[in-house]
Amino acid sequence: MVEIYLQMGVSPGRGSYDMAVEAEEMVTNTRQKLAHFFGAPDPDRVIFTNNATDALNLLLQGMLKPGDHVVSTRLEHNSVLRPLNHLHMKGIIEYDLVPFDANGFVDPCDILRSIRTNTKLVIMCHASNVLGTIQPVQEVGRLCSERGVPLFIDAAQTAGLIPINMKSWFLAGVAFTGHKSMLGPTGIGGLILNQEVEIEPTHFGGTGVDSKSLVHTPSFPHRLEAGTLNLLGIIGISESLAFLLHEGIEAIHRREMDLLHRLHDGFSHFKTINIYGPKNLSDHVGLITVNVEGMSPEDVGSILDADFGIAVREGLHCAPLVHESLGTSPKGGVRFSLGPFTTEEDIDATLAAMATIARTKDCC
Amino acid sequence: MNDSATHTLEAGDVHQKFRTIAGREILFDKQGFLWHPEDWSEEVAVALALESGIEALSNDQWRVIRFLRDYFAYHGRAPLNRDLKSGLNISLMDLESLFPGGIRHGARRIAGLPNPRACTG
Repeated sequence: MVEIYLQMGVSPGRGSYDMAVEAEEMVTNTRQKLAHFFGAPDPDRVIFTNNATDALNLLLQGMLKPGDHVVSTRLEHNSVLRPLNHLHMKGIIEYDLVPFDANGFVDPCDILRSIRTNTKLVIMCHASNVLGTIQPVQEVGRLCSERGVPLFIDAAQTAGLIPINMKSWFLAGVAFTGHKSMLGPTGIGGLILNQEVEIEPTHFGGTGVDSKSLVHTPSFPHRLEAGTLNLLGIIGISESLAFLLHEGIEAIHRREMDLLHRLHDGFSHFKTINIYGPKNLSDHVGLITVNVEGMSPEDVGSILDADFGIAVREGLHCAPLVHESLGTSPKGGVRFSLGPFTTEEDIDATLAAMATIARTKDCC
Repeated sequence: MNDSATHTLEAGDVHQKFRTIAGREILFDKQGFLWHPEDWSEEVAVALALESGIEALSNDQWRVIRFLRDYFAYHGRAPLNRDLKSGLNISLMDLESLFPGGIRHGARRIAGLPNPRACTG
């Protein structure tokens, strides 16, 4: 990534010198690769953003108008909840959040029942970032399609891990981040839309085309991109896509799930460790959230970090309603996230560390 | 116990509360952390410790509190996990056990360091 950037690290498409042309080609090629990767109909509707939150803000603020209604879920990250709440507080929209069941899954019928005549869109996560449960978005997509309501998914936890096909899943759009299972760097993400989506720009400025006009470029992708793109991030995504395609994302997911089973089984032997989410991990991504009884999640995270060299994400995971429903608010939990480079030795070391920590609170 | 809430303010998403501790009116956040680290004194530490169930701070607990205060005064921020471990020469597991509220709500709060609320929410 850095090597390529050193060769063409300029503003893509601005100017006719060779490096600017090569950089623009890199951007265009990456759009095409991403469109193919997500089964999207039009590479020009692959919009680069800073991250998934940026993509979701662009989507919601660009699409929603006064009087619109939105259906979403209580599983969402603040990247969806806060833009929706912001628009609601400004009196622009109304929204309903569908609950999830004891195992962490949303019922597609609940979403269908929440759709009103003024429902502009449905938006939901593909997998919970707290529970790891993969949501039935294909079924929701089919039902929404029958009702003529577009479904958008927040694929922050699944892009690069679960094959997604916008066309066959009836998805109007996908928001993703580069730095999770896509294996890219931080600061790059994207919003991919189908051709039917009507959306207004939320940022205005230089696009490198139609510069004479004071009206922002109306055609995609420039319509939704203003200013110089994050070329280093785009190169990173391009390179990581090549790696993912070479390894095969289904194979990566299978490996992660084998390791997750090992971790889950290990945790289940400790009576002072509470595991959140389903016992059956068949529709799951490689993450698990737990708590050690009598210890704050933050302290568990600090101990794992300093005493055992294990980095975890503790707290509310920017998903306050999930923790509210789990009864773990306001302290949250400790999330262990696996990746393609996690090994059995890593899992065993984690279990040994947690055994040591849990024993200190096991007074019975 | 020196605990008398006088009034509550709201600043953004953070609730602040004035309390009288050791004869002084001191501003706390909603999780009981000092709003202004400079309001800390040993008397405040003793009062906060008492509230968390520590009748008398031990020498080991004072050593942790003084390390946190000194580190904060010198660096302008709380120590990282690895700084805590190397600076105190104890495991964080032992540190957690040393205070009833653990590392953050125990040691750090009693030492009057700011609430690291941005780290985990």
